Amino acid sequence: MTDSLSFASIGEITESLRNGEISALQLVDLYAHRIDRYAEVSKAFIAVDLERAREKAAAIDAEFDASRALNGVPYACKDLFDVEGMATTGGSRVLADNVASRDAESVRRLDRAGAIFIGKNNLHEFAYGATGENLIYGTPPNPYDKTRLAGGSSSGSAAALGYGLCVAALGTDTGGSVRAPAALCGLVGFKPTFGRISTEGVIPYSWSLDHVGTLTRSAADCARLFAILDSRPAVTPSVALTGQRIGIPETFFFEHADSEILDSLDRLMNFLRAAGASLKPVPMPSMEFTRSVSLTVQMPEALSYHNRYLEQRGELYSQDFRAGLALGQCLLAEQYIRAKRFIETYRRDMQAAFAEVDALLTPATPVIAPPIGAVELTTDGHTEPAGNAITRYTSFFNMTGHPAITLPCGLHSAGLPMAAQLVGRHHDDQTLIETARLIEESYDFELPFPTLD
Amino acid sequence: MKRLQKQTLIGMRDQLGGYAWDDAEISELVDPRLGIITGFQDLLDQLEVLRKVDLESTPPAADIATP
Repeated sequence: MTDSLSFASIGEITESLRNGEISALQLVDLYAHRIDRYAEVSKAFIAVDLERAREKAAAIDAEFDASRALNGVPYACKDLFDVEGMATTGGSRVLADNVASRDAESVRRLDRAGAIFIGKNNLHEFAYGATGENLIYGTPPNPYDKTRLAGGSSSGSAAALGYGLCVAALGTDTGGSVRAPAALCGLVGFKPTFGRISTEGVIPYSWSLDHVGTLTRSAADCARLFAILDSRPAVTPSVALTGQRIGIPETFFFEHADSEILDSLDRLMNFLRAAGASLKPVPMPSMEFTRSVSLTVQMPEALSYHNRYLEQRGELYSQDFRAGLALGQCLLAEQYIRAKRFIETYRRDMQAAFAEVDALLTPATPVIAPPIGAVELTTDGHTEPAGNAITRYTSFFNMTGHPAITLPCGLHSAGLPMAAQLVGRHHDDQTLIETARLIEESYDFELPFPTLD
Repeated sequence: MKRLQKQTLIGMRDQLGGYAWDDAEISELVDPRLGIITGFQDLLDQLEVLRKVDLESTPPAADIATP
């Protein structure tokens, strides 16, 4: 058994388990060893439960049920998800003693499918921020360059896969918190249509915008997870790249971006054309105020949830999150409602765009993984806070609720991954994932595993 | 619209109810130094622009319709 198995896909792991080449217990031990080995550097986990994992693995080995789709597959989840008997901390001192009495719905579903839970991933405190910086549990570095961010807020989930510490991970995505760190770490990040994966048992950040999502090594793995997590009956879409109508946003999504990222998208577009897809420019709504609209919804909702803890434990929150919550208290109710009305206009505009195309293609992020500690980034003459840059191309689709997937599309000359984002129609999640899988299957690009030692 | 004053927010805190943010946190809203959130004044300026857009009878966004 070699370390290369730790970067294997769900498909490869499942095959090895079914063939008896490896046992579930051996697999858990492999990851346990790596989690211990890379704990200090990766900062990927807040807590692990290897005893429970080994018990489940032993039970799976004793009576292997090949009909269970994820039998023996070790996974982790962001520490916003309840797992019975473990603290759900939200990456904060505020909830250090918040022991869950039952599993979150997504955890229950993965458990029933035979997946083995191994631990809780680090995150930006309560998912407030895209840099993944956490003063209490540390800031997960990018597996491709330890001086750079893994990205957030699902920073530990991305780092866990990036450092080869689990096969898949659950995260949450309110503005890009699954897709952006996946993109920065060379992984596949997916958020479904709003509401399609249950958020029951997950600490909310902003109810209107929160999505549960997945981080995997491939789109094929994403499909396997979504088939289990999806709240609706499974369908098998019939998809081909030939004849696909791919929309290219005319504004905003290709502006002020790293030139190598834009070049990588050009190459992907050429591949899609050669594969028989038709690419067509798509007008987009004005994006000038979309971040403000999102913030105007996020902060009052976050405050409304955290109000229950502020009186007794307010001093335990980090300074930046408290500032955000204070902002939430000072917005007017009509401003919140108006923001939600603007979101409705965004949805209508995008519905009109999707009448003409099957999917949209954008870069996943305008930047490669920023240096740890970077406050502002300047890209093509545009200066903005690092967190805003990381989620600049993702957050809009949390408001519109469309399913979106980010997938690697090359290696930057700085040695860091670059990624594309595909966005699909509401409830066309399987088609979107399958489109990404078809690209993954035949698009040739360079992205080696990270060199960790 | 006049520029937001710290005293305005202190008045809101003291007279409208809600959590008792300390003065330093209220200062952060008026004069941001943490670099994490959009400055509140900038946000208010943008919201004021949006207030002038006629949304006709568009309702607030709700759940995504199931086909």
